Amino acid sequence: MRLLVVEDDPLIARSLEQALTPLGNTVEAFTRHADASAALRHDRFDLVLLDLGLPDGDGLALLGELRERGDTTPVLILTARDGIDDRVRGLDLGADDYLAKPFSLVELEARVRALLRRSQQRIDNRLRLGALCFDSVAGLAYLNDTALELPRRELALIEGLLLHAGNIAPREMLERRLFGFGEVGPNALEVYISRLRKRLQGSGLRIRTFRGLGYRLEEAEA
Amino acid sequence: MIVVDGTLKTRLALWLLATVASLGLLLLVEAYLSATRAAERAYDSQLEAAALTIAEAVQWQDGQPLVEIPLAALQIIATRHQERVFYAVLDARGEPLSANLDLAIEKRWRDAAAERPSWHDADHRGQPWRLHGREFDSAGWETQDPVQIWVGHTLAGRRSLSGELFEHAVTRFLAMVLVAGLLMFLAMRVALAPMRRLRHQLRRRAADDMRPLDARVPRELQELAETLDNLFARQRNSRDALLRYTADASHQLKTPLAGLQSASELALKSEDPNAWRRALGEVHDGAARTSRLANQLLSLARLRHVADASRLAPVDLGALLRETLLEWADRDLAGAHDLGLAPLPARPVLVPGEPWALRELLGNLIDNALRYTPPGSEITLGLNDEEESVELYIEDDGPGVEPSRLARLHQPFERGGRQDTEGSGLGLAIVDSIARRHGAEWRVENRTPHGLRITLRFRRLPGASVA
Amino acid sequence: MSWRLLLGGWWLSLALPAWSEVLVIEAALDHDVAAPLLRAFEQAHPGIELDYRDSSTLEVDSRIVADDPPDVVISSAMPWQMARTNEGYASRLESAEARAWPEWAKWREEVFGFTFEPIVIAYRLDLARHMTPPATHADLHALLTEERERLRGRVTTYSPAESGIGYSLFQQDARYSTRFWDLVAAMGNAEAVLEGNTRDMLEGISEGRYWLGYNLLGSYAMVWAQEHPEVIVQVPQDYALVMMRMAFIHRDAPHPAAARQFLDFLLSREGQRVIAGETPLFSVRPDVIGPYTAQRLRDQVGDRLYPIPLNASLLAFVDPQRRAAFMQRWRREFERR
Repeated sequence: MRLLVVEDDPLIARSLEQALTPLGNTVEAFTRHADASAALRHDRFDLVLLDLGLPDGDGLALLGELRERGDTTPVLILTARDGIDDRVRGLDLGADDYLAKPFSLVELEARVRALLRRSQQRIDNRLRLGALCFDSVAGLAYLNDTALELPRRELALIEGLLLHAGNIAPREMLERRLFGFGEVGPNALEVYISRLRKRLQGSGLRIRTFRGLGYRLEEAEA
Repeated sequence: MIVVDGTLKTRLALWLLATVASLGLLLLVEAYLSATRAAERAYDSQLEAAALTIAEAVQWQDGQPLVEIPLAALQIIATRHQERVFYAVLDARGEPLSANLDLAIEKRWRDAAAERPSWHDADHRGQPWRLHGREFDSAGWETQDPVQIWVGHTLAGRRSLSGELFEHAVTRFLAMVLVAGLLMFLAMRVALAPMRRLRHQLRRRAADDMRPLDARVPRELQELAETLDNLFARQRNSRDALLRYTADASHQLKTPLAGLQSASELALKSEDPNAWRRALGEVHDGAARTSRLANQLLSLARLRHVADASRLAPVDLGALLRETLLEWADRDLAGAHDLGLAPLPARPVLVPGEPWALRELLGNLIDNALRYTPPGSEITLGLNDEEESVELYIEDDGPGVEPSRLARLHQPFERGGRQDTEGSGLGLAIVDSIARRHGAEWRVENRTPHGLRITLRFRRLPGASVA
Repeated sequence: MSWRLLLGGWWLSLALPAWSEVLVIEAALDHDVAAPLLRAFEQAHPGIELDYRDSSTLEVDSRIVADDPPDVVISSAMPWQMARTNEGYASRLESAEARAWPEWAKWREEVFGFTFEPIVIAYRLDLARHMTPPATHADLHALLTEERERLRGRVTTYSPAESGIGYSLFQQDARYSTRFWDLVAAMGNAEAVLEGNTRDMLEGISEGRYWLGYNLLGSYAMVWAQEHPEVIVQVPQDYALVMMRMAFIHRDAPHPAAARQFLDFLLSREGQRVIAGETPLFSVRPDVIGPYTAQRLRDQVGDRLYPIPLNASLLAFVDPQRRAAFMQRWRREFERR
């Protein structure tokens, strides 16, 4: 994956490079708005990490320019400004996520992974986490590349969890996906979750419950 | 923002002008009418005198009325303005016995004059005339037929007199306006003097002078002066609070920075890579703590000192709670805790609020709970929907807080007697600020057997639907 | 009678034929007397040609209401001029001269009295040989009573019925003294002959038909006396009436601009100077010097000059009832015997 980092603070730029390169990415860092803008016009990147406070211009202007051109490259905004207005404006202009400084590198890596996954899915219509894969065109789920024979609701559950892979899939979303808008008992969803948990045993994946909130499909820690 | 909207002087002057102008208009109309009336009366009485003079000259000869028009009568009719003159003596049938112009006297006028002396405005050869007619019973030897005497003249004299009278009235009025204007100008100067004094005093004031005003003001300005004093007092308090807060904040920032400094110093002196590693860990933690502290200080400062709290709009507290909790549950920090949401009420819960501030409030409550409870603790947030208010709560099964410290928890840098956490002691102070901004009451209590529960009570907006 | 005056203006009328305007003046003022004034005007205003028609006062009055009105009307019949003005036949003259004209000699700035002619007694030298000539109205009355036989048929005065001036003068006399009627009766007793105008009276005196004339126009009489030494003119010493010629611009004047110029000229210092120096009409203006001025007359006769007032009271004289009553009384007194 090619990542473009626009960041004028050398310490942060270096740590970003060092944190993201080991994940299998190529990182190109620019300290100036104009250079980054030129690079974006000539090359294709999979993700842009954009600092808002640049010495020669406003990061939001760069973002606006990008979206104006119809470029849908995902953009993660990094900023020391905690003004809520900036955040809203950034998202309005088409930023995909927003991270306020100071941030922990772990947090950053998680967000970058999620954005890259979404970026990837836009290309091949497949949802994937570890050994589990869902082909949204064929409507089939695979575990270790073996197609699973599953009832419709379990397939819908897998798709729902994979859509939020690494993050919590809200309980209401999953219920609507499985049961539509009708009334459901409090434990109906839990029944399907426990069935899926059994199927995933030994696959390196697990489903964690968040009380009242939802479920998170995650890779079991080694 | 101060928008200069004219001056008090202009405003007063304009009102005065409007008053004087409308009064003046009325006065002038009145003056015009009364001048016209006076002129009419003066000249009408001349006509009357002329008619009486002619009446004196009527004699009866052989049953026929005979009149030798007296010279004086004609001069009276003509007046000193040399009006054109009309006279006619009519017999009982209305036939002229004597007349100098072919000015026709209408039948109804003759009838009116038969009743009582009458006055008419007439037009003769394109000129307006004023006519007067009256009837006299002549005591002749043979007959007693009445005769009517009509006199009239043109209107130059009346116009000239009424014009003259009106001119006098206007002159008097203008003189009055002039004098009144002058007096009002002086009065305004005198009346506005206290304002000018106050302005000078305020202008001379040093920027950091926040003592109460020392000024003599009239009662109308008392309120303004008191408001200013009040403003100074509030500024003084706010400045003092800011100074205290800044001092506290620096102190608080110094502590973790000192830790960073000593840890890195120790590591630099050491040759042992294991010690370096341990020190680096400490440095990292210290840096994280410091940056979090800085964030919180900033939030608190902003909450306390941003004057223009944006207007409160209806916010669905349930949705906001779920959204915020989802975000926090996903964080690394929450990985070791059991963070959960109690079932939400079925209907949307609307409260007046600022979404960003409420998110900040929830974030601090959750952050606090995560930091002050041991890993594995159960933390639950929820809403209790009531008729007119809504209760937002967060509870944990951690160690709770020593009862004597419960009341002080909302003060900045208060850690509930705990030094073993990364907390800054600012979280609840921020919560307090935001709650106050929203007019929400909040309280902290220990749970049995152990744990802490924080409850906030918001005013609920009527109506269940939200767009 | 009508003269068309081209005196000394023929070359001008050749030079400026197109500009030439004919101003029609209807006047009860002998052309001979007015000629110097007219000449002076034509010299001052070469573009204006004058059509001066002189006639009796009653004719002049009838011309005012005719279908083709004149531009300017001049007449000595003051009550009639006043009545026409009151009826609105005069148009206002807006000019500096008009405004400056004395108040007692104008009305509404529409009609102007522009001469100052004393009313006089004239007698033949023969009379003085036989009796003391009269110097006052009382003298005249006494003379007529005492010398009735000798003066029978030798006294002349105006016929109030035929002459507007005569009528006005008698009306005015009657105003000043009730003894006037004694005078009328005395004249009646002396079988006084009534004439229509001053000229006829003067001619009669010159021819010896009359010895004494009462209420003659002083302007004509003074000129006549200069050429006829047998005629003596006496300004009455108790009171002397003064008559004014009244001029106005006709409301429907065909040439109003020229008419205004003419009237302005009559009132101007220049016009009044001609009146004072070249006519016996006497100038009204106090700032004009000449043999015939109101001022000079006053200096000679003193304060006993009584101008017929130029005001609304004149209207009474033309009131038919009043006129009828006056004439009735006149006849009664005159024919008393």
